[in-house]
Amino acid sequence: MSLLSLLLISGCDLNTRMSTFTAKGPVAETQLNLFMLTVWVTGFIFLAVGGVYVYVVIRFRDKKDGNESIPSQGHGNPLVEMGLIGVSILLLVIIAVPTLQGIWYTHDVPDDESSLLGSWYTNGDLSEADAKEPFIIRAIGYRWWWEFEYPQLGISTANEMVIPAGRPIHIELRSVDVIHSFWLPKIAGKVDLIPGRANSMWIQAGDTIDAWAKKAEFEGTDNERLLAYEQYLEDEIYDYYYGQCAEYCGDSHARMLFRAHVVKDEDFYAWVNRMDAGHAEAPEGMTWDDWYASYDETPEELTGDVHEGLKLFMGRAKCATCHAVKGNPRAVGVAGPNLTYLAERHSIAAGWLNHRNDDNSVDSEAQLNNFIKWIKDTDEVKPGNLMWKAKGAGIGELDPLLNDEEIRKISLYLQSLQ
Amino acid sequence: MSTTHTTEVINPSVHNDLADLKPEISDLGLRRPDHSKNVIIDWMTTVDHKKIGLMYGAMALFFLLVGGFEALVIRTQLMVPENDLISAQRYNQLFTMHGTTMIFLAIMPLNAAFFNFLVPLQIGARDVAFPRINAFSLWAFVAGALVINFGWLLQALEMFGLFTASGATAGMNDFVPAMGWFGYAPITSTEFTGAGTDFWIMGLQILGVASLSASLNFIVTIINMRAPGMKMMRLPVFTWMTLIVSLLIIFAFPAITVALIQLMFDRVFGTNFFSVGGGGQPILWQHLFWIFGHPEVYILVLPAMGIVSEVLPTFARKPLFGYAIVVFSGAVIGFLGFAVWSHHMFTTGLGKIATAAFSLLTMAIAVPTGVKIFNWVGTLWGGQIRFHAPMIFAIGFVWMFMMGGFSGIMHSSAPADAQQQDSYFVIAHFHYVAIGGILLAIVSGIYYWLPKMIGKMWQGNLNIWVGIFTVVGLNITFFPMHFLGLLGQPRRTHTYLSGFGWESYNMVCTIGSYILAFGVLLLVVDIVRCFRSKQLAGNDPWDARTLEWATSSPPKVYNFAATPIVNARDGFWADKYGPENRKLGEVDESHGIHMPSQSWMPMIASAGFIPLGLGLSLMQAGVPFMGYVAILGLVIIALGISLWALEGPGGYHLHPKKESN
Repeated sequence: MSLLSLLLISGCDLNTRMSTFTAKGPVAETQLNLFMLTVWVTGFIFLAVGGVYVYVVIRFRDKKDGNESIPSQGHGNPLVEMGLIGVSILLLVIIAVPTLQGIWYTHDVPDDESSLLGSWYTNGDLSEADAKEPFIIRAIGYRWWWEFEYPQLGISTANEMVIPAGRPIHIELRSVDVIHSFWLPKIAGKVDLIPGRANSMWIQAGDTIDAWAKKAEFEGTDNERLLAYEQYLEDEIYDYYYGQCAEYCGDSHARMLFRAHVVKDEDFYAWVNRMDAGHAEAPEGMTWDDWYASYDETPEELTGDVHEGLKLFMGRAKCATCHAVKGNPRAVGVAGPNLTYLAERHSIAAGWLNHRNDDNSVDSEAQLNNFIKWIKDTDEVKPGNLMWKAKGAGIGELDPLLNDEEIRKISLYLQSLQ
Repeated sequence: MSTTHTTEVINPSVHNDLADLKPEISDLGLRRPDHSKNVIIDWMTTVDHKKIGLMYGAMALFFLLVGGFEALVIRTQLMVPENDLISAQRYNQLFTMHGTTMIFLAIMPLNAAFFNFLVPLQIGARDVAFPRINAFSLWAFVAGALVINFGWLLQALEMFGLFTASGATAGMNDFVPAMGWFGYAPITSTEFTGAGTDFWIMGLQILGVASLSASLNFIVTIINMRAPGMKMMRLPVFTWMTLIVSLLIIFAFPAITVALIQLMFDRVFGTNFFSVGGGGQPILWQHLFWIFGHPEVYILVLPAMGIVSEVLPTFARKPLFGYAIVVFSGAVIGFLGFAVWSHHMFTTGLGKIATAAFSLLTMAIAVPTGVKIFNWVGTLWGGQIRFHAPMIFAIGFVWMFMMGGFSGIMHSSAPADAQQQDSYFVIAHFHYVAIGGILLAIVSGIYYWLPKMIGKMWQGNLNIWVGIFTVVGLNITFFPMHFLGLLGQPRRTHTYLSGFGWESYNMVCTIGSYILAFGVLLLVVDIVRCFRSKQLAGNDPWDARTLEWATSSPPKVYNFAATPIVNARDGFWADKYGPENRKLGEVDESHGIHMPSQSWMPMIASAGFIPLGLGLSLMQAGVPFMGYVAILGLVIIALGISLWALEGPGGYHLHPKKESN
């Protein structure tokens, strides 16, 4: 009955945004394979025991034929018991052995040469120590958003990470307040971020070229191999992946989402270089020195929505108290998400407000509306969050509150961060 | 067996009819409240295990409806994406209180209701070993329930504008617990949650006192008060499960007691057990909590297994298949239950070795659980299955519990669990166990034993509709949740975005929850109809097997006119159908039946928990003078217990006429 309903329901789409059925990396794949093994084994038990059960309930029902004789009062059979216990143990061993292999495999980045950052990273120099480590991303949980640091590359972003396909990544999991959990279902099951504890996990989007070639039993020249591998990544792996906090972390736990862009190496390098350089120029091509000279001495000369938005960002709205924008020498806050190239992200408010088109471009009209909504109703979009109520810096404390025109200007400035 | 008695007054304290019982004066010089004409006073001071059991049952059913209502609000909120029926904060309060209520205020006391009513009857005893402690456990449970739910009262007052946190109470916020029933540190610190957490800590602590004292009582009762010939391996399986569960409580609750004390100290006195800033370790809470929490799962489910192990043999008209191995596997489950706590923590970074060990141990626990299922099927094999209401639910239990067991096996594989943990898949799993397993078994138990408890028989066929609506509703609600979890929906989220493929499943789940709720409502209606029934149950309406059916329905205050001598397992069945040497005998008790006196003291002593719990909670919130209220509570408890000791046990003798059939 249940198996039937399983089939019926599986007529529904199992390839949804956070589906664990469409594993896109070796960790999630190992986890999915183990799950399917448990499904087959328990499915077998279900049919065997359930079948006998149904048979017994029907076969031995009271026939209501007036036969009041007492059934035989047999009370057990040690041989049957021992046999069934033996079979149960055997079935569990079928699950146990691959489980142990899976625990060891999914625990951390494979211990081999090709897992080291130095073996593939070709975008500039690495220190000797960094080259001998796996690629590290530090995911830091805050109520209720994610910081993603790339310590070996000296960059940092929030809520939307960018990662290269086919490369193993060691994720360091840290939390500054309560327990969170990093869950990117298509790429890896979850591991918790616990304050005061150095947890880690590994993820990899898609197979490495060697693993892929082995699985696909590919034969051909190195060049053909590379092209076919690139095609596999293109078809199946490069994508926009959805993740979410999976440990209850307070009021807005439901609104602590994140994203992962899985891209080819070249695109990843380009992104790293842009993030590293930051916004070298102030709006309209001014140097930061000129802009700040004007801001400090003659702010009324900085006119236009973007300039005025930035003035509010640095001034009355106190945004820079908590937010950093790399390049801007005075926007170096650390309590909130890093906003470098914010307008290139496809969502804000930790994945809750989205403005991504199907072709992976940004819907700028929706984006502007989202900025406005977020600044205006931040306490409604994410109840309890610090941007609204932080002592001394929350915009909910401003008197008067930001008006619609000011919010629009700040939003236009934020939209210029691209 | 008829129950006519003649009066034989031997001395002034000997009675055969409670009606002409004169209250005695206790050692304190106060009048004992024995068998007051005032029904309310009679029930508040009772030490009769049957009345106490019925009170546990009534209150637990009330809280079952409360917890069910909380669940319905939760499901209604989740019916459509981005719903704003209730706020995030309210949702978090609701799921916290739903879990806490169902576990501590519904299922545990429902189990306690059966323990209380049945265990003395099943072992041929007159009462539990410590009748006044039994009453104390009941009232302590009530005090704990009130303290935990106190926040709802404040919340309601606030909603109607009768209370605002300002001035002296300015430190109060979050009146209702909202950190999950598991209360993972550090979200329980004063930095993140308010007075609700304190109510929760104090309430659970008081409930722990209630559970521990009740468990000690049952252990002593089962070990010491068995009728002659009721050897351990002749005990009904339900009594065996009570014994094992009581032992589990004795060993499991100290862990949560310690954890709660540490948490309370962190909050009230600023210690650093769990706060990272002071060098504490949040993960310590999880270990302590689950060392309690996993055995707690078996504390909830073993009594259900016990009920089913009574119902199946009765209605298959055969002894339980493999009695010894069913009892033994219950013990093994209880023992292994202490060795698998970290499977709730597979995602906390335990390391490979610990993960592997807990993974394998968790698989191992599937073996004794499977054994029970095999033996239940074996019990039915060759029987003459009669589909009365209790049997319908027991058969449903085996099926649904098996489903919950399968998803349990799926969790045991740690890497697979990394995808399932904290997703709707887990919710599906434990609700199959909790509703498909425990609740169906409890409903089966209610249909089986209520005629014994109140002496009236069920009427009509409403029970079939109860069965259909609960089983269908449960499957429609929880089966799709397996898929929701595997499609990535996390637990404990008050809303979700559209576009993730979760919408239709959530809609179906919500519809299912209403069907399930309607089934529970029908059950309540059926119970009310049973109470109003004119048809008497008689001693043995089901042609059952164990001793409780050998006496009248409802049993007299002294249970058995003469203590039975047991000569077989399933002693009452042997008495009816067995050979002469297996029939029940009777102990000669010409000196009369010694009955315990009623007392106010258990209730007074446990009433002190209310000012103690509320006082400590509100003191943390900064409300003035609350420390004194807490001290007052302690004084009441100390006074209650002292007077209880000083009033003396009292007691009186009854001389019912030997039954003449």
